[in-house]
Amino acid sequence: MNEHLLSFESKPESLIVNVRGHWVFDEVLALEAATASVQPETGQSVTFQCAGLEDIDIAGAWVLYDRTEQLSMLGIKSEFIGFKAAHFKFLQNIIDAAAIRDYEEPTGTPARPKRLSRAVENIGSHSTAFIEDLGAIARSILEGVRSPSLLMVGETIKQVYHTGVQAIPVVVVITFLIGIVTAHQAAGQLGKFGATVLVVDLVSISITREMGVLLAAIMVAGRSGSAFAAALGVMKLNEEVDAMRVMGLNPNQMLVIPRILGLVIALPVLTVFADIAGIAGGALIAVGTMGISGLQFVERVAYSTDLTDFYVGLSKAPVFALLIAMVGTLRGMQVKSSAEELGLKTTMAVVQSIFMIIVADALFAVLFTRMGI
Amino acid sequence: METIISVRNLVNRFGSQVVHDGLCLDVGRDEILGLVGGSGSGKSVLMRSILGLQRPTSGTITVLGQQIKYHKPGPSRCWGVLFQSGALLSGLTVQENVELPIALYSDMPLETRHELASLKLLMTGLSLSVADKYPSELSGGMRKRVSLARALALEPKILFLDEPTAGLDPIAATEFDQLITYLHDNLDLTILMITHDVDSLFGICDRIAVLVDGGVVVGTMDEVLASDHPWIRSYFGVPRAQRARQAAGRRMYE
Repeated sequence: MNEHLLSFESKPESLIVNVRGHWVFDEVLALEAATASVQPETGQSVTFQCAGLEDIDIAGAWVLYDRTEQLSMLGIKSEFIGFKAAHFKFLQNIIDAAAIRDYEEPTGTPARPKRLSRAVENIGSHSTAFIEDLGAIARSILEGVRSPSLLMVGETIKQVYHTGVQAIPVVVVITFLIGIVTAHQAAGQLGKFGATVLVVDLVSISITREMGVLLAAIMVAGRSGSAFAAALGVMKLNEEVDAMRVMGLNPNQMLVIPRILGLVIALPVLTVFADIAGIAGGALIAVGTMGISGLQFVERVAYSTDLTDFYVGLSKAPVFALLIAMVGTLRGMQVKSSAEELGLKTTMAVVQSIFMIIVADALFAVLFTRMGI
Repeated sequence: METIISVRNLVNRFGSQVVHDGLCLDVGRDEILGLVGGSGSGKSVLMRSILGLQRPTSGTITVLGQQIKYHKPGPSRCWGVLFQSGALLSGLTVQENVELPIALYSDMPLETRHELASLKLLMTGLSLSVADKYPSELSGGMRKRVSLARALALEPKILFLDEPTAGLDPIAATEFDQLITYLHDNLDLTILMITHDVDSLFGICDRIAVLVDGGVVVGTMDEVLASDHPWIRSYFGVPRAQRARQAAGRRMYE
């Protein structure tokens, strides 16, 4: 079956194997099957006659070599004859490499730590690193406040532009649509009680207190939290952060603080836009499909919603901004070695900041209820 | 001499900047061709064009009789590339990096794949103790060797090397040159090598291609040295090139 690769001549003292054809990478499966059929009888040695070989590469030569190794382990001697020099050098490579390996193997390689122990170790080192980073950032905030540098101001303004101004369209569109959805859903339910006009209350209160700021924050976490982590991560990989350190610049002050400050300024502003857009979305449904006039709508909003509701929503924005920016920059700064890690940390930044926003929002809800606001 | 790579009337233009202007270059079987040129002369652009990573403005490139098209699978079974910084996949271990091309192009059992990959690592002078490490845990020189092992994984006919000795200390660079010569002699490789290392140029290259004025001056070392192009004269006229030339001469007499 493998006659294009091997044929046999059996002599009393030795089995002669005629090797021919193409012994190359693409044929490795067939070659392995062929060499496995080299089964000398007891007392026979094996002679590989390689004059008929047309082509060989390292993979092919390895299969041949591997079979002689297996045979020698069974105590069967084998030899090669008739090799062309141009072909033999491939086999020679393998013999050389195998010699290095045999020389190396007894020393053994140190066992790598097991997965579990490594995971435990990671938890410890990660949490200490996290606390350390947090402390370093807090300290640079203090330093930044004491001696604000012009560089930081410029960088902060840039961040306000990237994270705030550029996010306005998408935040406005999203909250406008959510305003429409809320009003639409509420209209169906409240209409059953004949309390259609309360739709206005529901939309304006829910948007100003909760939805506006939450949607803006989640949007920003997706947009800017990931951008922070990715940007800082690449800077770490490019040794830009190290370059800053050796120039005597504090990367926390240069990179982290402006991002945190920028977002703390930008998110409240975005929240205002979000609130207006959300209520506008509600107005579209109320005026368009529910027979409430524009004037009635405005009156009803003014009657049901006061500035406290608006401030309740707005007061959460800086806190959410702080969470997003801290998590994003921290994760970015944790990137050390690989592109894989960069992706991982960016994902972590987004998931964790959204998670923390929602947890913080729940805490706020409890707090404001207790305070009676 | 059988032509392995043939570049015909290659033009590469970026805006108003002309990098290649009707460049023609042939690479013959089993030779080591060194590619040199000043910064911005288009060494990398030429290599990327040959590899199909860059769309040339015009011109045809043929490798092993197959015409290269931009971002189309070329004869990737038949060539291996050593990128300047190694370009190892950072999420995979050394062993997995070398096994990856083998797994892509064959249905060998795991064990065979593993053995072949180990063999390639040994052939590039690496100890198998690095096999389970990640690229980020290796030194620059080791990363290059792993990358070379990966380039050799599919038994290529052609090897592209982008500044193989850049960033290596003189000892490591000399060893790497020796490794390239060894692999060239033992694996019947055709090698196209971008290099600025004058020791490599004098020591291991069969022919030199110098990119100047959008074209190429190509020939053996002596032929290129005889050229009176001002850039070539100044390139090989600097003291370090002179010293490398003398050193290469001495080695020859020895």
